[in-house]
Amino acid sequence: MMNKHQILQTLKLSTLSWCVLLIVLFTFIETSLWLDKNEQKNEFTEYAEEIEHIYEEQGPRALLKELELTHRPKWTDDEAKIHLLEEEWLVSGFRDGKLMLGADTDLPTADTPTWFTLNLEDDAPTQVLTTTLYFNEHAYAHFWQKQEETQRLKGIFAYELFAWFIPLSWLTLCILFAFITRRDSKPIQAIIGQLDAVAQAPDSARIKVDTTDPQWQALGQSINTMLDEIVHLHNNMKTMSVGIAHDLKTPLSRVSNRLQSMYQDIDDAHALHFHLEKANQDLTHIITTFNNLVRLNAIESGKHIQGFSVFNLSELVNELAFSYQPVFEDSGRQFEISVVPSVQCYGDRDLISQLLCNLLENALEYANNNAQVWIRLQSHTQSALLQIGDDGPGIPDKDKHKVFDKFYRADISRSKPGNGLGLSIVKAICDVHNAQICLLDKQQGAVFNIEIPMP
Amino acid sequence: MNILLVEDDLDTAEFISKGLQQHGEIVQHCDNAEQTMLLASSSEFDVIIFDRLLPNMDGLDAVRILRASKVTIPIIMLTALSDTSDRVAGLDAGADDYLVKPFAFSELYARVKALARRQPLKESSLEICIGELKLERTTRQVFRAGKEIELMPKEYQILEFMMQNPEQLITKTMLLEQVWGFSFDPKTSLVQTHVSRLRNKIDKPFAFDMIKTVRGCGYLLSRQQDDE
Repeated sequence: MMNKHQILQTLKLSTLSWCVLLIVLFTFIETSLWLDKNEQKNEFTEYAEEIEHIYEEQGPRALLKELELTHRPKWTDDEAKIHLLEEEWLVSGFRDGKLMLGADTDLPTADTPTWFTLNLEDDAPTQVLTTTLYFNEHAYAHFWQKQEETQRLKGIFAYELFAWFIPLSWLTLCILFAFITRRDSKPIQAIIGQLDAVAQAPDSARIKVDTTDPQWQALGQSINTMLDEIVHLHNNMKTMSVGIAHDLKTPLSRVSNRLQSMYQDIDDAHALHFHLEKANQDLTHIITTFNNLVRLNAIESGKHIQGFSVFNLSELVNELAFSYQPVFEDSGRQFEISVVPSVQCYGDRDLISQLLCNLLENALEYANNNAQVWIRLQSHTQSALLQIGDDGPGIPDKDKHKVFDKFYRADISRSKPGNGLGLSIVKAICDVHNAQICLLDKQQGAVFNIEIPMP
Repeated sequence: MNILLVEDDLDTAEFISKGLQQHGEIVQHCDNAEQTMLLASSSEFDVIIFDRLLPNMDGLDAVRILRASKVTIPIIMLTALSDTSDRVAGLDAGADDYLVKPFAFSELYARVKALARRQPLKESSLEICIGELKLERTTRQVFRAGKEIELMPKEYQILEFMMQNPEQLITKTMLLEQVWGFSFDPKTSLVQTHVSRLRNKIDKPFAFDMIKTVRGCGYLLSRQQDDE
């Protein structure tokens, strides 16, 4: 069903189109009629001049002959009007102000060829041309000519056309527009109906467009893509809020417990000091989580891009790798560094440092105690290839796609330190550098490959 | 030390003032940029602690104006915007150090002391001697009690920074910033590992430990053996 708004819209559109159409038609017909009348007037003027000429050259008899008058008739007003209607012309000749022949009538006259509108018939007004011919100072004649029949019919046709066409065409247009609007609104109605269903079940319900019109199909597809993206974002947010809640709950409840213990041990300075230190550690963990979230957001916003510059990536990797070597050694793991010199990189040195640190920290945290860990840097046409990996235990295949998600933790129990933001930050840093990162398949441990475009 | 604290948040101001006074420092608090300009150019302060966001004026602009009017007092900026570009902007404006809220008081105090002491010590001096320790910058050689000790580059940088700020608390964050140039905190044992290796070389073979651990805060390089 069409609603009030659609009806109004239809009316507006059809009225507008109809007005434009009328104006065009009106202009066309009026121009055509005006041109016809002008042509007849020109011919009439020429004819009047010719009659004057005949009178001057050959006298009144020749003129009567030209007018095909055998005698000098005299017509009353009514006879004159009938003559004008039937013969399409009329004349009144005068000498010294006295009617000599033709019509004794009060029809309007003019000195030069002029159109008049007269009501001689019932059905439509009659257009008449008239002029006065001055033969000499004594003799003159009024001459009338009726509009040519074809033109008169044309005028009548125009008149009829406007009388009938206006309401009829308007009605037709309304119906036409109503039909078109109805037809066009059908897919919209369908989509609106389906969107209501989507609102009920945003995760599963999607738009199906029945029409074959490619535009509607594209719209349906775009809406579905948008819905998928919104669902994805929504899920991300859900994971994030759950992650934040989970990550903060443990240290916060520990702080709360510490505070209670402080009440109990209020007289024991040594115990108080111990509780304070532990509470401080837990709060530091919470603050670190928030700092990481803020940092992640800043990286994702791309505000570092304006500070990008070309720097020696090999030097940076070497510096950090050698810094971490004693850390790996102390933890009982083997650390192998293999860096091709002079590999350049375009980006933010501080962010790339963090990327390296986070991946190395990740290996420190999750690789087996006696694992082999390596960092390798090589160059390839147009890109620097960085690999940071370990030989076990790695990440289960089913979870591999989730490692870069915020608050994803390989150990569900969250027994190890950390907040599951390290690899999200790595991914965000890769994204602002247009670098590709992937966690290799079919490896014994976790092996990250990063391809950074070279300057 | 005579410290000017510019901070519009009264709770934070009280927290900092109280802490500084407990350590025997003299603190003057002011909460707006205009008064700061007046005080900084007319009085003798050792350090100014400056909040980045002040009513009526951005702390950055205030620092720029102070520096333009030849005020050379070391300035440490406090900010809630934990981001490198803001840090760089702060240092560019003429601040000497930059600390992100929330911070531990010990961290702030360590930095304030480092700033106040940095002035008389010439950064460009070729040789630094702290007790038994001697560091030669041209040759990058380190000696303790006349015996040469070989250090890895990072260990050398850590020791150099500690020797520039002897008898002062040096936090993990300060080392990460000064030695590694990190503006982020890798949750790591990176600093501990390197300091522990440094200790093995400069303390273990000798009579007493010069690098002391300040629990939960950081490290301190001391000339003397502990009394205990």
